[in-house]
Amino acid sequence: MASDMTVSTKPKRERGGFIRVKMLAREPFLLGLIVLVFLSLFLFAVLPIYQVIKVTVVGDAGADLSKIGEVLQGHFLHVMWNSIQLGLLSAVLSTVVGFVFAFAIARTDIRGKRLFHLIALLPIISPPFVLALSTILLFGRNGIITHGLLGLEDADVYGLGSLVFIQTMAFFPLAYLNLRGVLESINPSVEDASLNLGASRWQVFRTVTLPLAVPGIFSSLLIVFIKSIEDFGNPMVLAGDYSTLAVQAYLEITGMYDLRSGSFMAVAILLPSITAFLIQKHWLSKKSYVTVTGKPTQSSVRMGEKRMVYPLFAFCALVTSVVLLFYGTVAAGAFIKLWGINFTFTLEHFSYIFTLGFDSILNSTLLAAASTPLTAILGMAIAWLVVRESFIGKKVMELSSILTFAVPGTVVGIGYVLAFNKPPLLLTGTALILIAAFTFRNMSVGIEAGTNSLRQIDASIEEASKNLGASSFVTFWRISLPLMRSALFSGLVYSFVRSMTSISAVIFLVSANWNLLTVSILSQVEASRLGAASAYCVLLIAMILFAIGLLQFLVNQLQPKNRRRA
Amino acid sequence: MRRKIKTWVGMLLACLLLTAGCGSSNAGQAGKPSNRLTVYTAFPEQEVIPYIEAFRKETGIDVKFVRLSAGETLVRLQAEKNAPQASVWYGGPSDTFHAAAQEGLLEKYQPKEAAQLPKRFTDPQGYWSPVYVGALGFAVNEEWLKKKGLSAPESWDDLLKPEYADNVVMAHPGASGTAYTVLATLVQMMGEEKAFAYLKKLDAHMRQYTKSGSAPAKQAGLGETGVGISFAHDILAPKSEGYPLLLTFPKEGTGYEIGAVALIKNGPADELENAKKFIDWTAGLESQNLYAKTKTFRLPVRPDAEVPEGAVTFDKIKLADYDAVWAGEHRKELVKKFETEVRGQSGVK
Repeated sequence: MASDMTVSTKPKRERGGFIRVKMLAREPFLLGLIVLVFLSLFLFAVLPIYQVIKVTVVGDAGADLSKIGEVLQGHFLHVMWNSIQLGLLSAVLSTVVGFVFAFAIARTDIRGKRLFHLIALLPIISPPFVLALSTILLFGRNGIITHGLLGLEDADVYGLGSLVFIQTMAFFPLAYLNLRGVLESINPSVEDASLNLGASRWQVFRTVTLPLAVPGIFSSLLIVFIKSIEDFGNPMVLAGDYSTLAVQAYLEITGMYDLRSGSFMAVAILLPSITAFLIQKHWLSKKSYVTVTGKPTQSSVRMGEKRMVYPLFAFCALVTSVVLLFYGTVAAGAFIKLWGINFTFTLEHFSYIFTLGFDSILNSTLLAAASTPLTAILGMAIAWLVVRESFIGKKVMELSSILTFAVPGTVVGIGYVLAFNKPPLLLTGTALILIAAFTFRNMSVGIEAGTNSLRQIDASIEEASKNLGASSFVTFWRISLPLMRSALFSGLVYSFVRSMTSISAVIFLVSANWNLLTVSILSQVEASRLGAASAYCVLLIAMILFAIGLLQFLVNQLQPKNRRRA
Repeated sequence: MRRKIKTWVGMLLACLLLTAGCGSSNAGQAGKPSNRLTVYTAFPEQEVIPYIEAFRKETGIDVKFVRLSAGETLVRLQAEKNAPQASVWYGGPSDTFHAAAQEGLLEKYQPKEAAQLPKRFTDPQGYWSPVYVGALGFAVNEEWLKKKGLSAPESWDDLLKPEYADNVVMAHPGASGTAYTVLATLVQMMGEEKAFAYLKKLDAHMRQYTKSGSAPAKQAGLGETGVGISFAHDILAPKSEGYPLLLTFPKEGTGYEIGAVALIKNGPADELENAKKFIDWTAGLESQNLYAKTKTFRLPVRPDAEVPEGAVTFDKIKLADYDAVWAGEHRKELVKKFETEVRGQSGVK
């Protein structure tokens, strides 16, 4: 079975395909949902990317592959390898850090959990360029730490090392959110059973917890890998002479005015991303990770031994303080006159952003709020369809759902303009195009988190609901969705935060009526007004933290009433 | 539970309707002259707001803007060819405008007072009109000079002196228009062979090639490098923020950028008249005086306009005889040559 991919992709508990297809016809909701998801994916994920590919391979005089040859002759392969190297390093490091965080919070009685959790969410809020600039302010040649504290004369902050560092900090929260959902949905009684049978804590971890967390680990690696090679802001500021594909593609387009070569480079990023995606799916499809079976469970005793908790605490505290250092730098920058030069306290940056920049703040919030529920629901629905239902074109659905996530934002933006700039799909200049871009670019994280938690939930729970006469819709809404709470939460948070902070995709989509906060931040950074940029960031972070709190509250409402009271 | 589902679905629908409503409401009515104007601008946010406010006071026309770098604007115009969202492109180097005109993205229009603008800065083909000029200069970190006991470089040749080794930063000519202006200026001034020999030597002193044209000035301000090569206004801006920067110009001669404004082809029809009024206004004395009034450091094009305090006018600098059109036409080959000959195998690390 393992050797045959088409067979092995089907979850174990599934019945014959024919019967399922026949059942589909009897379930208008299910059929409708599948059609709707396909339609929207085609329109907002496949079509824009197709348009960009078309630009690359079709010249003024028909089909023409000369551009590709031209690009391949240059440093393309070298730059691609740079990107892959960066992606692998960041993915492994982020996943390790994320796992330790998730484990400490989900499985032990560590102190300061709430704080760790909150701080681990902070780096998702990475406003464009500002964190990378903080790196220079802290660790550059005149950096507060490298020069001021350590007295180094010639620190070089640019290059692969810094990039891996800053990306690990920026992306470990993704791994954390994802893995925490997975660890929390592993039924603790499995671990308890192992403990009762005489296994040591380490043995339990190695033979039970870790193997069960494999789907989460793999999808974290995948998500961070894709995000890392697609990242634009950090390499733009910190890469120095280390070129990556996403930046190179952007520069080819805006510096050399060569849309075709640049698009090709950017679309080429799909290659390693989709390879990684396929490897992940292939591995995961072979095993069952079901631990939530609907049979009664008791909650386990959390780990409290000092020798476990102390190192974990130290690690989390270290990571937390690094994150705080960076965000503290940004916060401090918002209240002082000029970084590194004049440390007088001032509120002038805030008075500036409230008088001139208020419109964009309002727009950003409104659009992010509009796209967040759409993203989360769509993400959960796709995860559910992919794991639980069987239908023709499932693979296609999965693949197309990561397209806009894996391609650099610049190209998504260009693709959207190309696809939606003529009737009947004239969306440019509207809020709708921004909402669509946010929704389809951010939903992958929700899908991954949702898929992982569903893998651990026995389908028999849902089958029981259906046998009792509930429709697919009611089953999804009342049984599956509440069980996917944690995944839903990560999906919502990620989507909202990314919508508020994304820049590369929206730069081509913002319009005079719908200008966004991040574009204002970029403008401030360009003009060397780091104070105003920092002030925008502080405001952004405050608003996002408030929103996360609100989302947490709303998601908790999904918890069944009796359990919430308990 | 039932009720909860209904509320959630209701909320979702409300969101959708709300956004759809917002979407449709801003499609302008074609043909009818309106009171608004949409502009793509490369000026930073805080700089452009006083400009459009001055225009509104004079004409009553409401200007909305989207801030994009010049390269980004060009891409956006290419992608939006069927239905451009803006009528005017305001600010950004003229070579990008030239590229856009070549691709048929601009409509020829010259301001009423075009005769007041010096010929050397205007577009011979009549697509764009100049709004400001600025010369290439060296951004030198004063504290670094003091610490090392050096004096600021005054010429291109000075940069090759051993004391500046590993302390020069410029952008990569393939990534930034500013750096390409450096490359093209040197080639036009010294001849291709000598210029590349010079750049090879300079490469040994180069600390980093940045991606953005204004980054070298910022890096010099932060002390990341001793010397950065940027446009004067990109150096004077961080200087005015308080960074310890000194601005010098190479005495052999230097290149310059012409900031431009142009009419976008097939822009919103109801804005056409306003767009023309706007372009007329940019050549007027009132708007040319704004650089001095708002303390930005761009040099006005009109000889009779006020010069910003602290900015250095062109008559005090030795300008190279810079041909922007020639530079635009040889871009690909010069950048390619730079990649292979100057950066060589170490070019892309």
